[in-house]
Amino acid sequence: MTYHQPDNPLKTQNSKLKTIPNPVIIRLEEISKIYGSGNTEVRALSEVSLLVKQGEYCAIMGASGSGKSTAMNVIGCLDRPTSGRYYLDGQDVAQMDEQALAHIRNRKIGFVFQQFHLLPQVSALENVMLPMVYASIPLPERRRRATTALQRVGLEHRLHNKPSELSGGQQQRVAIARAIVNQPVLLLADEPTGALDSRTTQEILHIFAELNTSGMTVVMVTHEAEVARCTHRIILFRDGQVVEPYLAPENLSHAIFA
Amino acid sequence: MNLAESVKMAVATLAANRLRSSLTMLGMIIGNASVIAMIGIGEGAQKLAAEQFESLGPNVLFVAPGNSEARGTTTDVPKTLVLADAEAIAAQVPSVKDVTPQVVSRQLVTYRNRSTNASILGTNPEFLIVRSFDVAQGRFLSDLDLKRNDRVVTLGAELATRLFGNKNPVGQPVRIKDVSFQVIGVMAAKGSVLGTNYDDYAFAPATTVANRLIGQTSPYGIEVAFISVSAKDAASVDAAQFQITNLLRLRHRITGEDDFTVRSQQDILTLVNTVTSALTIMLAAIAGISLLVGGIGIMNIMLVSVTERTQEIGLRKAIGASQSDILIQFMIEAVILSAAGGAIGTVIGIGGVLLAGAATPLQTTISPVAIALAVSVSGGIGLFFGVVPARQAAKLDPIVALRST
Ligand SMILES: Nc1ncnc2c1ncn2[C@@H]1O[C@H](COP(=O)(O)OP(=O)(O)OP(=O)(O)O)[C@@H](O)[C@H]1O
Ligand SMILES: [Mg+2]
Repeated sequence: MTYHQPDNPLKTQNSKLKTIPNPVIIRLEEISKIYGSGNTEVRALSEVSLLVKQGEYCAIMGASGSGKSTAMNVIGCLDRPTSGRYYLDGQDVAQMDEQALAHIRNRKIGFVFQQFHLLPQVSALENVMLPMVYASIPLPERRRRATTALQRVGLEHRLHNKPSELSGGQQQRVAIARAIVNQPVLLLADEPTGALDSRTTQEILHIFAELNTSGMTVVMVTHEAEVARCTHRIILFRDGQVVEPYLAPENLSHAIFA
Repeated sequence: MNLAESVKMAVATLAANRLRSSLTMLGMIIGNASVIAMIGIGEGAQKLAAEQFESLGPNVLFVAPGNSEARGTTTDVPKTLVLADAEAIAAQVPSVKDVTPQVVSRQLVTYRNRSTNASILGTNPEFLIVRSFDVAQGRFLSDLDLKRNDRVVTLGAELATRLFGNKNPVGQPVRIKDVSFQVIGVMAAKGSVLGTNYDDYAFAPATTVANRLIGQTSPYGIEVAFISVSAKDAASVDAAQFQITNLLRLRHRITGEDDFTVRSQQDILTLVNTVTSALTIMLAAIAGISLLVGGIGIMNIMLVSVTERTQEIGLRKAIGASQSDILIQFMIEAVILSAAGGAIGTVIGIGGVLLAGAATPLQTTISPVAIALAVSVSGGIGLFFGVVPARQAAKLDPIVALRST
């Protein structure tokens, strides 16, 4: 198994940084997540340790129920682990209160869901503006940045359409624009192409690749090998544990699936 | 997230669900409209009562037989006031200007082939002054009429028309309880005073009424229903009240409880005000209950809304909304619903007050206090009943919320 260029600086970063190792964005230390108790206890994650550095583009794979979503939720600060430590961009997240976590979710993390989760009653532009509402960014600035984000995902012609007037791929692109609009350090996506056909999947992957090229750290959960092959690193989960943290995409076919 | 923005967002959300929002507001609309209408109309009734009392005449005192305690315990009002009491008050009480006794008897009044039932008020010439009445035709009773027990009568305006039509009644004979009377005058119309329509009365000398129509029923003299007294001026009303009480206690040889009551116009006004404001309070309380029901309606709908919008709440939290952001969002929705309902209800309530003012003799008032109260109370109700659903929304776990479909 190859460790995919873990210490190499990214092409996009300027030469000054070449000598400085990339900072760690995600540091999971023996993270466990246990649902229920007694006989019904489920260990969704058991002592997972993981490092993801800035600028990486990773895919999390594993069988259904292996704990991928649970891990993503912990990484995305949507859920708290039962035990273990989690440092996001150097900050100890486990110690934070609800208010601080909301701030982290708002500023440091962009989340893309399989079911898009757009607000149906408002336009694409307003959906993308929403995270900035919670960041207290003034309205004109908000509109400008949301427009830019939608341009980045190629939807500058659909600013004022409501989600119901957009295709699945377009809706997911709106969701991506919403995730990146606050310039997070980390973009998380849980099966972002799970509800899309192969052509629109390619569009979405293209956007992710572009975002990664421009320096964004991207972690996504997927079941599809073609999707995982577009990333630079595959993390394999099995039974709530990381069984392979640094699988190179070209070696994916050799990896054993449970 | 600033407040103006939250309000804009809440308005957009509520507008997206127009029918439900307006139905939710209905409770508050009805509650507020009724608070304002009830208070406005209640105050109008109070004013009307006050005006009626002022139309009784200035600085008037009423002396009535029995007292309020005795009235509460016995059905039979003891008749203790006699005509001589009235004469004594007039002669001996210095702060009193005029005294007029009143004896009432309901009798059949006949002119030729026309007859009707009417109340015959036995009184004296001072009645005109004390009670602020005027004569339109002919004359009112004179002291001589009283002294001589004359069978003369001055008719109320309505009674005169009923018996005589367009004909001039002055000088005509009428029969009252088979006793022949001569009409000496007709009163100017006054309208009803405190529910008594004196235009439908006939006015005869107190002595004649007592002797010929009622007959003597008291060993002390000619009984009267009550005595109206006018004090010399506003300042001497209290003195008159005190002096009349003393005089009557002496005359009736009373050592214990009074067997009569002296009330000033102000006393009665206060009493009536107590009653009407109790009525206003009761009306307001009923209206307040409908406000409460409206508030519960808002809470109910907000709870439904939280359940329905679980995913939205989860999403908002996932992209950085804090608990307080969500709490404020739902609180604002609840407050907007109730305050808007309150405002609409206020407008309708004002309309109702104006309508009641136009359609009835009530001088209704649009009370700014009532409006301020209703709007702030409904806003408060929104806050109060919004807390539970908003807290429920704020406490939602983002993952659970996102997962629910
Ligand atoms: N809220 C919960 N309560 C109890 N058990 C849970 C809960 N959420 C997840 N689990 C359990 O935790 C384990 C891991 O679930 P998770 O959703 O992380 O799997 P996954 O790898 O994302 O699966 P999939 O590929 O189907 O999405 C499963 O056994 C699941 O049943
Ligand atoms: Mg999953």
